[in-house]
This record gives sequence, structure tokens and C-alpha cells, in this order.
Amino acid sequence: MSLISVDEIVKRYGKVAAVDRLSLRVEEGSIMGLVGPDGAGKSTTIKIISGLLKPDRGSVRVFDEEPWDNPALKSRIGTIHERAHFPSHHKVLDYLQRACRIFGKPESRAREVLALTKLEDAYDRTIKTLSAGMLQKFAIAHACINEPGLIIADEPTSNLDPEARSDLLDLILKLRHDEDVTFLLSSDIVPELDRVCDSVAIINQGKVWASGGLTELSERLGALPTRISTDNPEGLGELIRELEYVNRVEADSKGVSVGVLAGDDERLYEDVPRLAKEAKAKILGIETGTVSLEELFRAAVKYGQGGGRRWEKADLS
Amino acid sequence: MGKGRPFLEVFTCALNEDYWFPILELLVLLCALWTFFSAGIAGVSASYSDFITVEAFTHNLVFSFTWPLIVMVGIPIVKNIAYGLGSDLEKGIIQTLFSYPLTRGYILTARLLSALVIPLLLFLGISIFGLFLFFPDVIAANPGTVALTYAAQLSPVLLTAGLLLLLALRLRRGVPTVLTGLTLCFILFVIFDSIADSIAWGTGSDWILKIYAVITPNLALQEYYLGTLGVSSRNWVPNFSEVLLYVSAGYSLVAVIFTIGYVYFKRWLRI
Repeated sequence: MSLISVDEIVKRYGKVAAVDRLSLRVEEGSIMGLVGPDGAGKSTTIKIISGLLKPDRGSVRVFDEEPWDNPALKSRIGTIHERAHFPSHHKVLDYLQRACRIFGKPESRAREVLALTKLEDAYDRTIKTLSAGMLQKFAIAHACINEPGLIIADEPTSNLDPEARSDLLDLILKLRHDEDVTFLLSSDIVPELDRVCDSVAIINQGKVWASGGLTELSERLGALPTRISTDNPEGLGELIRELEYVNRVEADSKGVSVGVLAGDDERLYEDVPRLAKEAKAKILGIETGTVSLEELFRAAVKYGQGGGRRWEKADLS
Repeated sequence: MGKGRPFLEVFTCALNEDYWFPILELLVLLCALWTFFSAGIAGVSASYSDFITVEAFTHNLVFSFTWPLIVMVGIPIVKNIAYGLGSDLEKGIIQTLFSYPLTRGYILTARLLSALVIPLLLFLGISIFGLFLFFPDVIAANPGTVALTYAAQLSPVLLTAGLLLLLALRLRRGVPTVLTGLTLCFILFVIFDSIADSIAWGTGSDWILKIYAVITPNLALQEYYLGTLGVSSRNWVPNFSEVLLYVSAGYSLVAVIFTIGYVYFKRWLRI
């Protein structure tokens, strides 16, 4: 079941379309990542889904409700905004206890979420004295106060040191596992999403270039790197580079790494024996591996910019 | 879950931010001290024999007693709406408030209750208490004049608050909203005042004074009472019905500006 359904939404700021006919689905219990460069439309999409912005066109359903200015829905979702800020003169524990009262939760929940985010030592500190990293953790604690079924987070790891980032990613996995929380995360730091996400949507110029599970995306975008072990990498590499459907060829001392579009991998398997014979190279092994989300992201962006079916050579470097 | 508890919590949260210790305490102390000081001045300077009618005397007494208090509570109103709300929008605190189970309209109401209504209640409470304490007979004898004077004096305060609200929503920044707001107030209540007087004097026409009386209905009220004394320096003496009309028009203008602010906040505010 889709917890979030976004259909053909458009949001314009003047003449600029921040989001342009964007569609998205987030399944219940999943962790979906929004990936894209700065200005891609991730934050606007997040704001629309969390009910902070109203789309100019299209429809958004979260828990099968319209999110725009919907108080009932806010009780069911937790949000972590980019550059999270809170009323600064409150003390950490006092503010979270206030948030508990707002959501109708017992005040003991405040201590639970502070322990969850390892902020126990900051109970009595005023919010304005927290460091940027602690403030981010506080934002995460705040988002968990109402025991939400869905957490929407815009750049949740910004301002965190590597250890805290790792802790946060662990926390996300734990919340999904223990409390069946669904996540929609956006980040510029692709390897982080790679670690926790079941699926991703690659966004650029307000559009979804590609979305789906990591494996599915790998297949669809053709980002399946093929490794050919051979005794003549240079010679074989030169010939493979001539193939028009190949987008990346890298030769090293032990073999050749090749990137091809989906569907073309079978052609490569057919062509390699012929080319090896031509290059007088002995094939020692051939296998297709997986690709990182970062590579997928770069491939998809380039693919979209080209407006065509394939991207330029040497793209998946 | 009802809206009452979340609303109350957002309101008290705004109170904590607007009046962190000792802002409110200092304000109360200053207002209370001024009340005693002002009562002394008003008691010495205001003599009933100077006025033809008891209403004119009451108006003058209430006006001179309360205007410094209005200036005093005006400072936190400017700070809370222009700087406070502007900064909330600038820093993104408003996004946090929007994550609570309240509509935007309730959130703005809670914010304005703290920023505007609390200082006004403080002003009304202290000034009315002071007036009853020092001039019980005058006040008790003319409640209508007292109420009208208060209404005429508060209208520009509310107008200023409404304009600051619109500026804060539009500029979405704290300091620029304060600076622009103060400049606008200076133009409206100082420069426009002088220009209106000059034009009225130069042309012999009172139309510009009538326009200005919508912004500051106290002008109409003052001219009405000064006219009864025959000491007005202006060539415009409205009758009592007109005074009521200008006060009503002033509040209608305030209502329109706040309505625009609410609609903008609810529908078009970009965050």
C-alpha cells in the first residue's frame, strides 16, 4: 500500500518551476530517498508532501489524506526540516515536554526521544546554546515525539559529524524495524541513502528522472558494470570502446570494466568472444556486478540532460 | 485530539519567546511607575475650569494620561510582530510550528495573542486601574468619553500592528521588517501629519484631514473637543456623528489589513 502518493504535481515560483509534473510513490514500511543536486526540487517536494506548501497543480495524498494545512495528518507524521530551528529561549527537555502536550503524548516520551538521540546530557540546556549537530539531533528527537507512522526528513544528516551520521542512519533502520516507521529522506550525500534506502527517486530540474528499488534502477538505467578478466586488457579495451552501445570502458592490468545500458549487456556478452579473438586476448572470466547509488544518480542526471535514451561515454566513471 | 491544548501550548510557547525574563516584568514596572508619574502631571496640569464641557476635560485627561503608556507598550508590539514574527519566518521556526496539529490560522492567532493582545491588555489594565485610582469621579461620570478616547487612541496602534504583520509576512526577515516598519510609521504618523496640516492650511480644504482621521481617529476626536472650546488651530471641526464615523472607519481599515494578513498567511505564505 502506498503511504504517499504524489501525482503530477507542479509548483512554480514566478516563472521558475521548482517542481514540474513530479510523481512519486512511497510504500508503507519502506525507506525512500530523494536524491538530486542542489536546486533539483527536493526540498519543495518534501514541503509539499509534509503539507507546508500547496502545489499549483496535481494531487498529493499522505495516509490517504490531503496534507496541505491538515492538522489531523500532522499528528501522524514527523518532520525534520532543512535548517531546523526551534524557539530558542526554551530548555531542551521543557520544549519537548511541551511538544508532548501538543501531540497529546505523556511527558515521559520527551526523555525517551532524548535518550534515543543520545541527548540525555542536554536536558537542562537552552536550545540556543546547542551546537549545530546537537540541534539536528534535537530536531530528530522532536520529529519522533508523536510516535509517527511516517517521518519526512529534508537533509537529516546535515551538520552531523560522521559518527552522529552513522548513529542517525542506525536509528532510522531501528525505527523502521522496531516501530514500522516509513521514511522519506532527502540528501545530497548519496552513500548515506545507499545504506538505508529500499528505493530512491532521482530528482533533477523538478522532475523524477528515475525511481524504484536500487536493483530495479540498476537494471533500468543499465548501470550494471561488467568486469572482463583477460590477459590483454589494453587490446580488448580498445576494441570494446568502439562498440556504439558501450558508455564506459576502463582497462587496468587485470582486465576491462565496461558499462552498458540495460538490454545491451546481452549484446556485450555476444560480442566479447569475437572481439577477444580479434585482439588475441584470452578471456579469463566475465561477470556483471552491482553499482552504487551515486553512480546511478550521476548516470540518471546525465541521461535526463541528454534527453535521449543513452548517456555519454565515460559517464559512469 | 481537540485544538484547545495545542493552541494553548503554542500560545504559551510564543509568550516565552516574546517575553523572556525580564522583558514583561520590566514593562509592567515601567508602566506602573509611569502611571503614578503621569497622574501627578495630569492632576497638576488638567483643571476642569479650562474646559467648557466635562466630556472635553475627561478626554483631555484620559489622552494625556494614556498616550505615554501607548508608546511604552508599542515597543514590545513592534519587537514581537516585526522582529519576532519576521525572525520566525527568517529562521524557519514557523516551519516547526506548522508541524503541530493546528491550522495556520490558529498558529497566527496564537502568535498575535502573545505579540499584540498581551501588551494591549497590559496597557488597558494598568491605565484603567490608574485612572480609577487617581480620578475615580471623572472616570465614573463619563464612561462613554473614556471608551471613545481609548478606542480612538488604540486604532493607530492596531493599524501599525497590522502593517507590521503584512511587512513581516512579505519580507520574511526580522531586522528589515523593523526598519521598514519604523520608516513607514514615521511617514504615516509624523510626515503625513505635517503634510496634512500644511495642505489643509494652504488650500483651506479639510479633505486631507478627513483622510488622516481614518488613520488616526483621535484627530477627529480632538478637533471635536477643541472645536467646542473654539481653540482649534485647524479649520475642521467634525460633529460627534462624524467622530464616530472616523473611529469606525479606522477600525474597518484595521480589520481589512488583518484579514489580508490572515488570508496571506493561510494561503500564500511561502516558507
